[in-house]
Amino acid sequence: MKTICLFHLELCRLLKSRFTYLIIVLSVLSPVIGLILYKPAAASTMLSIYIANPAIAGGMASGIMFGMLAVFELDRAARSRVDILIYAAVSPLCMALVRILTLMIAALITLGLAMLVWLPVSKLLIGSVFGFVDYVLAYPIFMGLAMPLGILSAAAAYQFTQRADLTMVLFAAFAALSLTLWADNWQLCWLNPCVWALSDDFSNFRIFRSVVYMRLTWLVALSGVWTISWLCLRQYGKGLLGSLLLSVRRIYRPTVALILLTFSVIAYAGQPMVDNSNPDETAMLFNEVPYTEDVVCTGYTAQIFPDVNAGTLSGYTAYQFQNGSGQEQRVAFGINPGYAVSNVKANGLDVPFLVSDYQEYNEAMLEITIPADKQVELTMEYGGFPRENANMSTMQGSTEISEEYMCLENATLSPRLMNVPPDENMYPAAIEITLPYSMTLIPFGNSDAQVVAEHENGTKTWRYKRNSTGGIVYAGNYIREEVVVDGFTIEFYYGSKHKAVMESAGAVNAIKSVVDYCVEHYGYLSFGDENKLKLIQSRVLGGGYAAGGASLLDEADFTAENLSNADKGSESGEVMIHELVHQWWGLGNMFDVSYPNSLWSAEGLTVYTTYRIVKELYGEDYAQKYYVAQWQKAVDDYYLDFYVRNPEYLAALPADKQLEITDNLTYVRQYCEMPLKILKAEALVGGEEAMDKILNGLFNRELDPMYPYLTYQEFLNACGLTEEDLNLA
Amino acid sequence: MRKIFGYECKRLICSKFFIGIILVILFYGWQVLNRVTILGVSHTAPFSPWSYGDYLSRMIPLLWIGALFLLTFFTSKAEQRRKAITSATPVKPSVYGLVRFCAAMTGTALLALVVILLAIVFYGQMFNWYAWSSLLLPTFFTFVPTLVFALGSGWFMGHFKAWLLFLWMLLPLPEFLGLLNGSVFAERPLTLNVLDPAFSLSIGTVIAQCVLLLTGIALMAVSAAKSKKY
Repeated sequence: MKTICLFHLELCRLLKSRFTYLIIVLSVLSPVIGLILYKPAAASTMLSIYIANPAIAGGMASGIMFGMLAVFELDRAARSRVDILIYAAVSPLCMALVRILTLMIAALITLGLAMLVWLPVSKLLIGSVFGFVDYVLAYPIFMGLAMPLGILSAAAAYQFTQRADLTMVLFAAFAALSLTLWADNWQLCWLNPCVWALSDDFSNFRIFRSVVYMRLTWLVALSGVWTISWLCLRQYGKGLLGSLLLSVRRIYRPTVALILLTFSVIAYAGQPMVDNSNPDETAMLFNEVPYTEDVVCTGYTAQIFPDVNAGTLSGYTAYQFQNGSGQEQRVAFGINPGYAVSNVKANGLDVPFLVSDYQEYNEAMLEITIPADKQVELTMEYGGFPRENANMSTMQGSTEISEEYMCLENATLSPRLMNVPPDENMYPAAIEITLPYSMTLIPFGNSDAQVVAEHENGTKTWRYKRNSTGGIVYAGNYIREEVVVDGFTIEFYYGSKHKAVMESAGAVNAIKSVVDYCVEHYGYLSFGDENKLKLIQSRVLGGGYAAGGASLLDEADFTAENLSNADKGSESGEVMIHELVHQWWGLGNMFDVSYPNSLWSAEGLTVYTTYRIVKELYGEDYAQKYYVAQWQKAVDDYYLDFYVRNPEYLAALPADKQLEITDNLTYVRQYCEMPLKILKAEALVGGEEAMDKILNGLFNRELDPMYPYLTYQEFLNACGLTEEDLNLA
Repeated sequence: MRKIFGYECKRLICSKFFIGIILVILFYGWQVLNRVTILGVSHTAPFSPWSYGDYLSRMIPLLWIGALFLLTFFTSKAEQRRKAITSATPVKPSVYGLVRFCAAMTGTALLALVVILLAIVFYGQMFNWYAWSSLLLPTFFTFVPTLVFALGSGWFMGHFKAWLLFLWMLLPLPEFLGLLNGSVFAERPLTLNVLDPAFSLSIGTVIAQCVLLLTGIALMAVSAAKSKKY
């Protein structure tokens, strides 16, 4: 009762303080920093610019200010030299508890005010793609949770040191670490969460979950640290240790602190958001798993049930094998590291299985021993919260599973068979996915999905067929538009919220011009019997990919911000251009698997063609500035790098640093150096027209069925050049 | 005077604050060296004067705050109350003030030394590199003007209004003082158009640093002159 009374009194006192008013007002205004100065979310979507950036900047500023307010308030009694009087009447422990609670209430009030003030502003700035749910989640998560963290850390530092000056230094260093050195570590950046983009058209629950997880981990950890510091509060004229010994006599106090700290360590180490993929992105150990002998896969089925509320997925898959070896065999699957596998049976009997600790490209390896029977039906259940690739941990959000959007790629969709060859029919598969009624399922590729069942619980089961071990599906509230270009049909899928932007941006015309360019310069694509290509808009990804019969269009290709910004207008759709061009270079014409140090891949010709299209669409100056100059700079930077020039020093570095430096190698060589070489070849063969003829010849050449890949030597031969001719030095 | 100087130094250095800030510097500095400096700046080696200068620049905000907090030992309200006693001693206030300023400078120099030693240990451990003489110039040009300015301006402000020191700690690092935000070390090597250029500074930067140094000294002198009046 006394504590409640004290709490009321302290809260009234705090809220009457002019300094508190100042902190509250500044905190409420602080999101403006995210509009002007501090823009951690790099994507050009409206929600990134007008919700993520202001909320994160507001969280950063208000977290720091509330930390300072905490120090100011905790030091007040000592500063005014009334601490002896106060602590004669009230226990310092009780007073510290009351103070921290009142500061938390002040933070809550600040958050409420900030949300009220910024709601109309955000709505006005964002326009038609404003999402109330995103707003209501973003501000409390990005901004609101920063304030208690600031308060707890500053209060803990003060309670340990009992000195305002030292506390300020400790707090400044703690904040500076988050803002600088820890900024790229999604679990450590307590003040400025790693949010690179929020989607305008689809939901953002996955990235919100990730930030909540990080913030709650810190909240528990700092609560534990604060509790220990609380036990160290000086009492009865004793020092830190003496006071600690007095405080821990009530055993529940240190127990709570230890539980909190232990829980935070477990939460940090056992985080469920990203996997432990090998940081060496050139490693391909899963590709080296030896194939089984005398075992073939004759097909498989999968039933998948995404839980759109929890963001999880469960599934059942059945593989059919013919085992001609007469003995047990170990078959290997790639599976999302977030999934648990259970109920693994071969011909109805339990069989042993093992999930590897080693992970690569967002997959763990599931190894199952199948019996010696001639016909084996292997069934298994799997499910859980899909983890994202650790190497992309600062760009989380791609494995969104919600009622608005879903993207399930390869091992996240169903276990991907690694080491069993197919029979003559390849890998025929039937996939069934049960989705909410409002969602449309779009397989990424040539297949089409059909609704095979409607359920009373508001879901529908979709079914499609594919013929490969992996595959990607998209699902969401999509609009489908058919674009007929040069005799074939492009099925253009985009989010329903994006309709107005797509129309204003002239997306359909942009698609037509890309296809026209490629057909005119290189020739027609073969899209099979139906002669169609899917172009699917994804949630903001920062890149894209293409497969036979489908290309991706990043949401950020066409945004309202790009349209309203005259300087950025011409950037619209460049990921879409790149991924469409891959239908010609990469899919229409195949390239062998490229090795880490290899220059030659589908990317070289694709990037070069993208540059040519951009040059035609947006002018030579633009193409020179944003393509050729950027390639040149990246290549120059790479070859001037100290460690590239002095590999002996690179070898002396820790493995993670070596990887950080060498991982750029593949990217720079394939995406920057090769396009520059092709540009040089263009000049040597006599200009763009001559190069177009050469590329047309290569695209339409007669393929060797044993090795249908386009090689660097073929390219050089067609140009009449040697490797040395294309040296850039 | 030596005794007073020794006493003031002891008061600063044997405090919880000083030990605390050294620990913070060690932790923060090691993080900077391991995460940023190790990659090298502008195509130069991690142990080049440029990368080292970039490291020093990243540590300056912490030293800036530390130096100003050391000054609060002499400008706090408690210290003002003690002034009645210290003023009654037969020591000239200006000399006494100078001794205290020197003590604060010694404390700051020790903090800077910790930063430098940390880098030396890092370079030795990671690269077996011990050619420390090449680090003298960047150390001098980065630390001396900035920290003298921090102390001089802080001393001046602290004696005017003690709370101004806390505001001064939040000084946004201005762009034109390139050495303060490290941009000089990242940008200048690229403008020299040679690989691994020898350390040099533009005339503009040298002038800016000299102005900073002289302003710091001038502000300190003004404060000392003011204290004569008492």
